[in-house]
Amino acid sequence: MGNITLGRYMPLDSPVHKMDPRAKIMAMLLVLISIFFPAGWIGYGILFVAVSFVIILSKLSFGYIWKSMKPMLMMLFFLLIINVFFTKTGDPLFTVGGFTVYTDAVLNTLYIAVRLLLMIMITTCLTATTKPLDMTLGIENLLKPFEKIHVPAHEIAMLISIALRFIPDLIDETQRIIKAQESRGVDLQEGKISERIGAILSLIVPLFVSSFQRAEDLANAMEARGYAPGEKRTRYKVLKMETRDYILLFCAAALLACMAWLAFFR
Amino acid sequence: MPISFEHVGHTYSVGTPFEYAALKDVNLDIREGKITAIIGMTGSGKSTLVQHLNALLLPTEGTIRILDRTITAGEKPKKLKSLRKDVGLVFQFPEYQLFEETVLKDVAFGPKNFGATEDEAAQRAAKALKQVGLPADIAKKSPLELSGGQKRRTAIAGILAMDPQILVLDEPTAGLDPAGTAVMMELFRTLNKEYGKTILIVTHDMEQVFRYCDDVVVVADGTIRTKMEVKDFFRDSSLCKSMNILPPALIRMKDMLTEKGFEIPEEIDDIKSLAECVAGQVNHG
Amino acid sequence: MGIIDVRNLNFSYDETSKTINDVSFSVEKGTYTTIVGHNGSGKSTVAKLIAGLLEKEGGSIVIDGLELNIENLYKIRSKIGIVFQNPDNQFIGSTVRDDIAFGLENHCVPQEKMDEIINTNAEKVRMTKYLDHEPTHLSGGQKQRVAIAGVLAMKPDILIFDEATSMLDPQGKDEIKKVIRGLHEESGLTILSITHDIDEVAGSDYVVALDGGKVVMTGTPHEVFGDEQKLRQMKLDVPFSLKFARELAKAGVKTDKHITMEGLVEELCRYRSNM
Repeated sequence: MGNITLGRYMPLDSPVHKMDPRAKIMAMLLVLISIFFPAGWIGYGILFVAVSFVIILSKLSFGYIWKSMKPMLMMLFFLLIINVFFTKTGDPLFTVGGFTVYTDAVLNTLYIAVRLLLMIMITTCLTATTKPLDMTLGIENLLKPFEKIHVPAHEIAMLISIALRFIPDLIDETQRIIKAQESRGVDLQEGKISERIGAILSLIVPLFVSSFQRAEDLANAMEARGYAPGEKRTRYKVLKMETRDYILLFCAAALLACMAWLAFFR
Repeated sequence: MPISFEHVGHTYSVGTPFEYAALKDVNLDIREGKITAIIGMTGSGKSTLVQHLNALLLPTEGTIRILDRTITAGEKPKKLKSLRKDVGLVFQFPEYQLFEETVLKDVAFGPKNFGATEDEAAQRAAKALKQVGLPADIAKKSPLELSGGQKRRTAIAGILAMDPQILVLDEPTAGLDPAGTAVMMELFRTLNKEYGKTILIVTHDMEQVFRYCDDVVVVADGTIRTKMEVKDFFRDSSLCKSMNILPPALIRMKDMLTEKGFEIPEEIDDIKSLAECVAGQVNHG
Repeated sequence: MGIIDVRNLNFSYDETSKTINDVSFSVEKGTYTTIVGHNGSGKSTVAKLIAGLLEKEGGSIVIDGLELNIENLYKIRSKIGIVFQNPDNQFIGSTVRDDIAFGLENHCVPQEKMDEIINTNAEKVRMTKYLDHEPTHLSGGQKQRVAIAGVLAMKPDILIFDEATSMLDPQGKDEIKKVIRGLHEESGLTILSITHDIDEVAGSDYVVALDGGKVVMTGTPHEVFGDEQKLRQMKLDVPFSLKFARELAKAGVKTDKHITMEGLVEELCRYRSNM
């Protein structure tokens, strides 16, 4: 599991790490929206430079971003093939065995690749610099205004933070069960359909049983420490917007405006 | 030797920032037909070691010989599945691997995976349930209805039903009460003495090592610190103390008595002879 | 009347059998009480009933003069801290700091006071160095220490340990037992510990032995553990000193009943000097 980098928090000390999660979430949303404006290569160039600047500022390495991108390469390759077959616009690029590849096929794929890369860069900027708990706190705070229309902001945040807290434990548990069943001759790689189903059941049932046990223990522990859903609680972590957070928001908004201008008013 | 390790190493996540050498240059021989205890602190590499025994983990360095198979680092192992049949590995808290509707079906799951017919598997399951001392009427029950100790025994029966030559148990008594623990340890003794199984037990409990095991392997920092016969290991408490292990009660008693000036011969290793020895020294007057 | 007073308590998970059958006992303020019994004897259920995590079917539980019922539930829970068996399943926060804060947040402690409370209580369990660690990077013993700090932060009068050491390795067990003993001695907290650990029981003030959902024996460790036959009937461990004393008797040396080895050796020394 050590190879998955996408969405993982990287404990570094940088100005971006210290920013308010609310500002980071909002800024991410603004920049994500701007990616979907057809702002052309100039626009993507500006976005790339801007996001790269944030990555450097947050002390993340580009190798790390590349690792997150890697799993997507296969998908992009398929997309390229599909585009080669179905996109027949633009100038003919070259012909292989009577089959002509057009420039738009390559350009379209490249567009998608660049957008994907930008999206990964932007989301990584958020997830790698924001602790999961701060993220939920940010989400909870951003959802607060919606409590008036009965969005249970606090419960949603609690749900997410508990889920985040137990994901590593569940991964461990799953691996343990896989190993235990492999020791009983379960073969997860090959076998007939019926055997495969049996193999999957032998993982899922124990995982459910232990998760229920865990949920019960957890509920007891939370209740014993005075937790009651819907009751008033104070918060240990209190978010405070500072100058740098407003600067981040301003820059994100400016970027969005710039992309909109490039796309629609030029 | 049914099991031998030669210069075995295991490194997790090679080439990542999480790279970690859990085993380093392990050389080890396990005697056939004996009960061997594997002890060591949490994180010492015991679990990594035992997972090599049925090829759940493959060595990243060195060679392991188990029964008639050879596993060498870097080579794709053959006959891997049959190795898992011959070396039964019981994980910690094995009750969490139960999943079938009935106890019998669950115990028969292993044999079926190794190609036994439905009937054969059921027969072997029934035999295994008997071996672990569960009453026959339990076979039709759901595993979820059983008590903690019964669940644990069902899970062990699930491994026994595959009829392994070697049985490896990772902390088999964790979480059981003293009575449950005693029953479990007696079971392993029976499996060893009557059914001739070679048994390896990972444990923290020195009383178990002292009372039930023949050999002891101490794992520390991913290497084998010591391997010797249990009776030599506990001859005096100095070896235990040097490794930060609390010796069994009998040995501590011997120590305390010696310290107070009693003369206790080293070779005494049972409570009765110790009592007689002490009685001889207080009764004269 | 003790700080915990349990009278004719009854409870069952299903209709076929009674898990807790007419249990009565009382725990004096400031004492260290242990509850012993084999698995399935009902001892963990008693702990959950006292902490109000399960609803009793009959009888009464009085905590510090307050009857445990729906109205008093939250008041009583703030008097009781409970540490459970599984170190992973009671770690709620994403770091040590956040986990200790969890209970404070629930009790509406003002935010500006939290840091100080967190630091003091982390200090009590010697986890100050680990405040920003995540649970995956802590050992079982460390996680249990955090759990203890988490309940201490809420300033309870009573600490309940529900087999808190049973899933730990020997080092972890030792750590936790020392912490519990230290808390009892230094701050005079009332301790109620459900345990299989014979040394812990031997060091406690008072023992309640359960079997089949009933109280079968109560008294000092000396009184309860003096009866080897009864212990065997209850499927409990017999201290080595008792086993050894029996062997000595067979060899012709009569001794008093000791629950610790030290006590027995001392007596033997006396006989020798009389020689």
